[in-house]
Amino acid sequence: MLRVRWLALLSCLFAVFALTVSACGDDDDGGGGGGGGGGSTLDVYSSLPLQGASRPQTTAMVEGIKLAVEQAGGKAGDYKIKYTSLDDSTAQAGTWTPEAASANARKVAQDDAAIAYIGEFNSGASAISIPILNEVPIAQISPANTAVGLTSDEPGADEGEPEKYYPTGNRHYLRIVPKDTIQGAALASLMKSEGCGNAYILNDKEVYGAGLATNIENSAKEIGLKVLANEGIDPKAPNFRSQAAAMKSAGTDCFVFSGITANGAVQLYKDVHAALPDINLYGPDGVAESGFSDPKEGGIPADVQAKTKVTVATLSPDEYPPEGKKFFTEFEKKYNEPNPDPYAIYGYEAMKLVLDTCKKLGSDCSDKQAMIDALFQTKGRKSVLGTYDIDENGDTTLTDYGVYTIKDGELTFDKTIQAQAGG
Amino acid sequence: MEASTEAARLPVKRNTWDRVRGYIGEYGLIALLLALPVVYGIQDISQDGSLARLGNNIVDGLSNGSIWALVALGYTLVYGIIELINFAHGEVFMIGSLVSAGLFSTLGLTASTGIGGLILGLLLTLVLAMLASGSLNTMIERVAYRPLRNAPKLAPLITAIGFSFILQNVGILWIGGSPEGIPDLIDAQKELFNIGGVSISRGDVLAIAATIPLVLLLTTFISQSRLGRAMRATAQDPEAARLMGINVDTTISLTFLIGGIMAGAAGLIYALYQTTIWFLQGFQAGLIAFTAAVMGGIGNLQGAVLGGLIIGIIQQISDNRIGGEWTPAIVFAYLVMIMVFRPSGLLGEETREAG
Repeated sequence: MLRVRWLALLSCLFAVFALTVSACGDDDDGGGGGGGGGGSTLDVYSSLPLQGASRPQTTAMVEGIKLAVEQAGGKAGDYKIKYTSLDDSTAQAGTWTPEAASANARKVAQDDAAIAYIGEFNSGASAISIPILNEVPIAQISPANTAVGLTSDEPGADEGEPEKYYPTGNRHYLRIVPKDTIQGAALASLMKSEGCGNAYILNDKEVYGAGLATNIENSAKEIGLKVLANEGIDPKAPNFRSQAAAMKSAGTDCFVFSGITANGAVQLYKDVHAALPDINLYGPDGVAESGFSDPKEGGIPADVQAKTKVTVATLSPDEYPPEGKKFFTEFEKKYNEPNPDPYAIYGYEAMKLVLDTCKKLGSDCSDKQAMIDALFQTKGRKSVLGTYDIDENGDTTLTDYGVYTIKDGELTFDKTIQAQAGG
Repeated sequence: MEASTEAARLPVKRNTWDRVRGYIGEYGLIALLLALPVVYGIQDISQDGSLARLGNNIVDGLSNGSIWALVALGYTLVYGIIELINFAHGEVFMIGSLVSAGLFSTLGLTASTGIGGLILGLLLTLVLAMLASGSLNTMIERVAYRPLRNAPKLAPLITAIGFSFILQNVGILWIGGSPEGIPDLIDAQKELFNIGGVSISRGDVLAIAATIPLVLLLTTFISQSRLGRAMRATAQDPEAARLMGINVDTTISLTFLIGGIMAGAAGLIYALYQTTIWFLQGFQAGLIAFTAAVMGGIGNLQGAVLGGLIIGIIQQISDNRIGGEWTPAIVFAYLVMIMVFRPSGLLGEETREAG
């Protein structure tokens, strides 16, 4: 008798479970329309490395994103916007990891209410998430990626790029920072303008570092700057003294590391400066972070800072258009930070672009493909970064790069370079 | 008929191969080890007219290798006595560096500290780092290895890996996940003197000058002291040692203590020499040091030191001439070749199995 009762109870439980599942299924189907959630809330995610050397930059980006959502009242048109910040790094690695980046992309790919994915910060991480999100597809906007191969097959791209990232053959990924053909040209022209005749390039062999190194080399050759070498390093090597000694023997006038801080940058700059104390040292946006610049956070010491310059696709707050200047005022008001990290404005603009596009689409905003199409039709957008278009590859038409010196551990704006992409 | 002919041929093939292997093992290895310095030495003389560049590579290699040698001693001591690869040893070395860097700021040691204060501060740091790493290693043995003394060999190997990860996470909690630059207290890369174009920096002198007495002290202790004899007896036959009145557990603990002390010293030297510390430095150094111990002959103290120095020199020559991206491949290619032609390492194993 008791067994019969248990069986009846279990049957009821199964019945309730089955009904719940089928009800959920109905709800999903009802969303229709290109995968829209069917409700009035749409999801926007960011995936950035919130641990390790990039934390100050990515924290500033998240603050910028939240500011944009708050200014819009948490809404875009008729839809409520729910923002979720994801982390593509681990404490163990101290930087992004392929596992975390792919887990984030898969999570978002399974969310029917997701309309945009802001990320990644590192180009290598985007190389992982782009193909996953392309299959859905969901609009992906990177506020920081510069590797050429993510969007085009121009010099600096590897064989098979960018097609290998887009299995469906359609594009869904765009970025609001100039790509590395521009940064490579900016670094090469900066080195030459400061009297360098023989440049030595080392790279960290990642998607971003190796690609940018090629761009620097190509641009240098075009403007008559001799490149003595462009070599990869072992990022986990305990030191780079012998490579620094090799640079010295080769007659190096200036040095540039194409890579990210987490890949041995601090030790590398210290060793190169020790071997060649008089030469200028240059770095890309991959090292434009306090983990590299500030000795209090484990960065380079003052004597190395004095010889180091870094390029970042950001300008001085004074050089931004009125919208940009307004952003800095609002940011200071909200976070009580008069000198925000250069990347805060990119986080803000990425989210603002999503919100503005969604508002423009009206009820179609829940349609993932409509969102992608609208983003790719961005033309003459008057933004906090200046006026820009998004081209058919998903690249911005902005080309300004800022040169930063390092003073007392802080990146300090020096000047703007308007570089033309090298071949 | 054919089968019997084949069978008759096989022993001849084996003998020839063994002879070739023995020949290569005896003379080929020397040629192999000298290949890089000789080739680049000839190249330097023909291009620069001097051996200064090679000399610089060797000096840098010896100073880097000294640190690997100190870490390798810990691996080889422990393997020699209980035939366990103490995977946590690299992390004990990392903790030595972290303790040292912490003490620099606690004691207020900076690049501008006077010479007297600096020497006193560093000596105090050395003692405390050695004590910290030594006691940590002893604690690991007591907690994770001793209860498994009679368990299958795989069990302590797993607990060793487990402790390695635990300590890595301690490192992350302590200094975070990124490499961290620390004050360059001794101006490590400042040239002290120059001999015929070969530059000797303060860091080179520190690494070599600190390693030599520590290694001599250790070898003297093991060969001449009562406790050292107990260690050797335990290494040869723990049961017989126990019957002869040696407290085997205490002797094994002592071995871990000494290995940890060496790792602590290496941790401080590493911090002063590199001026960058990282929670993963122990994993990297451990891999290199274990390779050094195997290359020299596991269980053999002199072998561990020789292996460390050889790896240091190969790394520096490769970094300087071939490119840093190839260095790990070249180091391990050397290890593979040495193992194939001399499986017991350069100076031969000193373990129970090896006799």
